[in-house]
Amino acid sequence: MRLWHPLLCLTLIGLATSAAAQTAAPPAGMNEDAVPAVMQRAVDEVIRPGYRNMQQSAARLTTAMKDLCDGGTQQTLDKAKSAFDDTIRYWSIIEIVQTGPVIQDNLFEHILFYPDRKGVGLKQVQALIAKADPKDATVDAIAGKSVALQGLTALEYVLYGNGSDDLIKQKGGFRCLYGAAVAGNIQREAGEVVAAWEKPDGVQASWKHPGPQSNDFMDNKEAVTALLGILVHGAENVRDQRLEQFYKGKDTTPRPRMAIYWRSKNTWKSMTANIDGLRTLWQKAGMAELLPPDKQAVAASIDEDFKSLLDSVPKLNPDIDAATSDAEKAKLDTLLAESRDLITRISDEYGAAIGLSAGFSFSDGD
Amino acid sequence: MTRTTAIDRRGFVKAAGLGFLASLAPKSLMALERADAVYASGIRAADGSFAVATVTERGEIVDQVKLPARAHGMAFSAVSGRTVAFARRPGTYAMIFDPWHRSEPIVISARVDRHFYGHGAFSPDGRFLYASENDFDGNRGMIGIYDAGNRFTRIGEYETYGIGPHDMTVSDDGGLLIVANGGIETHPDFGRTKLNLGEMQPSLALIDAATGALVEKHVLPAQWAELSTRHVDLDDKGRIWFACQYEGHRKDLPPLVGHFAKGEELSFIDLPEQTTRRLANYVGAIAVNRSEGIVGITSPKGGASVTLDARTGKVLAETIIPDAAGIAPAKSGFAVSSYDGDFLSTRSDVAWDQHIVRI
Repeated sequence: MRLWHPLLCLTLIGLATSAAAQTAAPPAGMNEDAVPAVMQRAVDEVIRPGYRNMQQSAARLTTAMKDLCDGGTQQTLDKAKSAFDDTIRYWSIIEIVQTGPVIQDNLFEHILFYPDRKGVGLKQVQALIAKADPKDATVDAIAGKSVALQGLTALEYVLYGNGSDDLIKQKGGFRCLYGAAVAGNIQREAGEVVAAWEKPDGVQASWKHPGPQSNDFMDNKEAVTALLGILVHGAENVRDQRLEQFYKGKDTTPRPRMAIYWRSKNTWKSMTANIDGLRTLWQKAGMAELLPPDKQAVAASIDEDFKSLLDSVPKLNPDIDAATSDAEKAKLDTLLAESRDLITRISDEYGAAIGLSAGFSFSDGD
Repeated sequence: MTRTTAIDRRGFVKAAGLGFLASLAPKSLMALERADAVYASGIRAADGSFAVATVTERGEIVDQVKLPARAHGMAFSAVSGRTVAFARRPGTYAMIFDPWHRSEPIVISARVDRHFYGHGAFSPDGRFLYASENDFDGNRGMIGIYDAGNRFTRIGEYETYGIGPHDMTVSDDGGLLIVANGGIETHPDFGRTKLNLGEMQPSLALIDAATGALVEKHVLPAQWAELSTRHVDLDDKGRIWFACQYEGHRKDLPPLVGHFAKGEELSFIDLPEQTTRRLANYVGAIAVNRSEGIVGITSPKGGASVTLDARTGKVLAETIIPDAAGIAPAKSGFAVSSYDGDFLSTRSDVAWDQHIVRI
């Protein structure tokens, strides 16, 4: 037990330590020497490039949408769809980071509104397109509207939803101009996140240098907890918020229309990119270096889990109706099990091995 | 925090009867015979399964009841002896069980358009169980009312007059429901994600238990709009103690603990700066030891427990407890647990969850 305010001790729990120390001891098991390099690589080699890639992709998408509005040809439509798929991929890689600047001012929701459980967002998009008021087809106008009208799922409906044939029937039509405005809005929102992370004395410095001067982390433990949180919550998101949104197991009724990006057949591409983003953080940041020497086997298991998922998810049927049919449900059951294994491996085995209590996800008091 | 009249070990053994005692392993029976008090708390077992454990004040586990998923808060009725483990938010089950195994456990489910927020309390006469719930489509806090005399059938609900209710308790006379409206919007579609951190409006509400009418609502000052009110307990004078978790800037020094009584404004405890920092702006549980006039709080994020004088608000003790979890009044001071398996002086191969109730 360590007392730092030794007026009267009424509760006794083991773990004897110095009476003078004021800061939390590093978690037992963690190779704390590796923390600065891991945080530096996570920021400079994963998070910042991830957002920059997303912003650049959104810029290409904006250009492609403008070309589509100007040209109105099958070729420009194909290019716009290709650019959209590209942006989905780059966004899905970095959307695993659901902390920091992206969750401020609802930037995340402005880029991605999902799920739309009762179809309220879809109705808003359909109504806006039906109204076809030119004043609604600017980036500024879109930025002031409901989040359901601003982001990737709205643009997916423009490109792939009912009536998308109009995009090549009419040059400069409202539907296309609205889509271009949405793309421009996504680009601008992504730019705000990039600007926040690229500011040298901003969040990147705070993340790379935990301590009293940091706005985010009091010590190394808090910093590593946040990094592990990205992995755990990202893996949980893949399973609980994306897969289980439309498939919860063989004894339940699938809801394929609830799958993210089902119209554009990007469901599994997005999930693959999510998992790829998690693996990139795990490997490029060198998070295995935080493990003590006798726990290195945990890293090999996590590598294997990632590899297995990245082998299987891209092979799933992109038609979600078909993917959730009785004939193919077994593959999704396997995915449910394997994604659960990944969560447990990261949260419990890795978290416990680096001394973050009984497993990371457990220590979220509430 | 759910307050009831605690019973001691002799009462527990007497209530248990020979059947229950005969079912215990020799080690558990010995632990129970030596105990002065018995508690219940959610656990995660070494194999990853979830249960609620009864445990002595020495931290020795007496018994376990399996749970379908992770639990959070607990409630106990001294009248009926029934104990409740509420699912962790956004869970949808609550298990009511008899620690002495005199009746079969009952599992209730939240309405399809509600989920539990992890806490609840019995009416003093044991007739009703109240649970904090989320009307997630209506984005409003609710109190579900369950009839203990009819297998805990849901018989009604009241508004909490706020968003994101968490802990709640009942006044000693049963007339008031006391709710900590944390002010944080959540929706099961988004898991545990907090959806309105920029627009929080935390409050503490007093609600007429007979009618559901709002008696008083204390909204936190605008300066502390990001200070989520989370947990409550009552002292021997009926004063309401509350504990908070801060969603604002980590360098801020918000008041984490306060108290008030009906008809009074909120009063915040002016904790020393080093204590506030030690608590990492996050209090996970609060308990009042009425007989000793002290208030205990824990912080899993800061890894600490702090004991306050209920009369003056002065800090009496601060103890470093890595991953500090639950806290409940003990014969002297408090029983404190940790995620790492510590329960006072005993370490078990379990992770203790966030709350403890004395039974």
